[in-house]
Amino acid sequence: MSAVVSKVTKRRSGVLDILRGSPIMGPFLALIAASIFFATQSDKFLTGANLSLIIQQVIVVGALAIGQTLVILTGGIDLSNGMIMALSSVLMTGFAVTSGLNPILAILAGLLVGIIFGVLNGALITSIGLPPFIVTLGTFNIAYALVRIYTTSTITNLPPAQLFLGNTFSIGGTEITYGSVLLLILYAITWYVLRSTPAGRAVYAVGDNPEAARLAGINTKRVLTGVYTVAAITYGIAGLLLVSRTGVGDPQAGQTGNLDSITAVVLGGTSLLGGRGQILGTLIGALIVGVFRNGLQLMGVGSIYQVLITGILVIVAVSIDYLSHRGK
Amino acid sequence: MSQSTGKVLFEMKGIGKTFPGVKALEGVNLTVREGQVHALLGENGAGKSTLIKILSGAYTKDEGQIFLEGKPVEIRNPQDAEAFGISTIYQEFNLARNLTVAENIFLGHLPRKGLSIDWAHVKQRSREILDMLGVTFSVDTPTSSLSVAEQQLVEIAKSLNRKTRLLIMDEPSAVLSEKDLEKLYEVVRSLQARGIGIIYITHRMKEIFLLADEVTVLKDGRYVDTRSIANVTMDELVKLMIGRELKDVYPKRDPAPGDMLLEVKNVSRSKLVHDVSFNLRAGEIVGFAGITGSGRTELVRSIFGADPYSGEMRIAGKPYKPHSPADAIKHGIALVTEDRKAQGLLLKLNVTINTTISGLKQLSRYGVIQLAKELVLVKKFIQELRIKTPGPEFIVVNMSGGNQQKVVLARWLSIGTRIFIMDEPTRGIDIGSKSEIYQIMDDLTKQGVGIIMISSELPEVLGMSDRIMVMREGTIVKELSRAEASEETVMNYAVGSQSGANLAHA
Repeated sequence: MSAVVSKVTKRRSGVLDILRGSPIMGPFLALIAASIFFATQSDKFLTGANLSLIIQQVIVVGALAIGQTLVILTGGIDLSNGMIMALSSVLMTGFAVTSGLNPILAILAGLLVGIIFGVLNGALITSIGLPPFIVTLGTFNIAYALVRIYTTSTITNLPPAQLFLGNTFSIGGTEITYGSVLLLILYAITWYVLRSTPAGRAVYAVGDNPEAARLAGINTKRVLTGVYTVAAITYGIAGLLLVSRTGVGDPQAGQTGNLDSITAVVLGGTSLLGGRGQILGTLIGALIVGVFRNGLQLMGVGSIYQVLITGILVIVAVSIDYLSHRGK
Repeated sequence: MSQSTGKVLFEMKGIGKTFPGVKALEGVNLTVREGQVHALLGENGAGKSTLIKILSGAYTKDEGQIFLEGKPVEIRNPQDAEAFGISTIYQEFNLARNLTVAENIFLGHLPRKGLSIDWAHVKQRSREILDMLGVTFSVDTPTSSLSVAEQQLVEIAKSLNRKTRLLIMDEPSAVLSEKDLEKLYEVVRSLQARGIGIIYITHRMKEIFLLADEVTVLKDGRYVDTRSIANVTMDELVKLMIGRELKDVYPKRDPAPGDMLLEVKNVSRSKLVHDVSFNLRAGEIVGFAGITGSGRTELVRSIFGADPYSGEMRIAGKPYKPHSPADAIKHGIALVTEDRKAQGLLLKLNVTINTTISGLKQLSRYGVIQLAKELVLVKKFIQELRIKTPGPEFIVVNMSGGNQQKVVLARWLSIGTRIFIMDEPTRGIDIGSKSEIYQIMDDLTKQGVGIIMISSELPEVLGMSDRIMVMREGTIVKELSRAEASEETVMNYAVGSQSGANLAHA
């Protein structure tokens, strides 16, 4: 009896060992498995046009999730990201359409307001030592209110310069948006910075143990303020991608951006405790959500069931991650 | 004293345990009698922890048999262990910090009286147990307000309340200061007198001869030997444990103090440090002795810029006013912290990141870390300091204490540190790694590095220091030369006892 039990235990820990080896191995295998499954269910799934569509569908959450990953790696959380994105996007479109500002300057102004929110988040967290959850819950509401104070109606008739990222080019008959390319470039830059720069290492160190990082000579406050600020830049860019994709400045946007981006981060194998995770995991996490939604849609499953399955996915993914690190 | 003849309580025969890819234990035997203190000795990684986890039900054995009073038993989980009367006191206490002493003693076993808890019984029984242990604090004290030594006594009280017959103590002395050790020994002896069998794990060889009746030595997961204390010498034990003779644990110091490195003048820190002045020259090891709470750690944290202070400091003659650890590091100062896991290492990150985290600027060009150069540097330190690790990518949480400490040293060595502050540099480290770390310290001073060493182990203070500063209640009460110092004089100044005052007048 006990021999059987121990054999089973051993085999399970073997599989978990593989998952333990690289934190993005599990999410990557899940993405491949899901893709194979949907390819068998629908002929349309593996077409170039559909894959391009999936990327376009995850582009906004994908951009929000970059900043969210940086914040979570430091052991924090950012609830304000979707609203910072919404504020940036209504301001950049509103300044251009309503105020007649040069479209490019309007974009920069929108990004700048986002950055101010990032600096505010970072300053409140580092100077007073408030928990990130509370600070960003507050700035979430402030940004939401500012959006509605600025406008309650959708901003339309945007200048072409603000829609450029929604334009496409063709590779082998598949239309690809410039926005998709920008997103991939952002991921590549973030990957490089996290892997190969002192700043990237500092992010991991602060997330692993802030006191040990400080005693190793890292200015932890500067790292945290920097992370919330850089994160806000990605939220502003997410706003620009949103505008180019929908063609409007939408005051209703971004309300679930925080939870959607956290979902992508968690599915990508990044630990909410900080210090462990990879940016490519987040891209995979965002794609997993996109692939499931798209694949289920092709199979004719209703959208509310897509949300249901996303919820189950998160719990399964985190359970596997937890089991593979338990007892360490 | 020898209890090699009492009734056999527990017997483990041929115990083996395999983890994926590793044989952690093989053929281990251990017999504990009633009222016996049985020391378990071995270097880090020798299998001591695995063995006690099997006894306490945290792991299940793969091979071998366990007998309780001659009858074979299976320990499948912690509940089984408790039912057989086995309790374990780990180094990290298992106390609910926000609950009172009495609540902790009864945690998980609170007696009912009707629908409510029988608090009267809880308090009365807790008081009885504490009295038995010779403890005076109230059973209503919140555990968080107790000292480490007192918390340990609560852990012991907890196990007594569970009718423990075999008590496993995992390095109980490692967390205590010299002053609290006598109390621990007293308690161990009283438990022994009550017929409780004790497995006692320690790295302090002296303790084994002070307390134990028998000692079992493990090495690399294998059983080496069991000896009666009466028939073994310390040298023999060391040889059994590390498989070779350890001629001198401490290197022969030949100090040649050079230029002035650090001058500390009238440094104070709120209520913790008062008016401390001393200096450190190149090539010197200055030891700081004192009991826990004497202000040593607080003093060095201020020197390292980690905490605010008042007073004056100079480095190589120039004014030095650190506002952060980063300032201190720029001035060539390093702090090897007392608590490696909470303050020294980035535990979930790998050897490479932990080694180079403080020197990334020097390793970078155009703001980018030269990864190839970094890898060469890390590999060099792994080799030079003989760090045992599967590779630079290995996560440090899984390494032994000695190897973790070497990673910390590698970090500071890699950036050309001139002033090392080492707070308990060998705490929880096995004797083999210890002597390697002492050797590194000695080599460093030969290269002109100055070392400030805080230690609560008197043999270490006496063995390594060129000069000894004894601190008490936040200030340096006495400076002793190596020749003047003995365990007794240092201890007397540290606790401020009458005999210490007499010695000072002598």
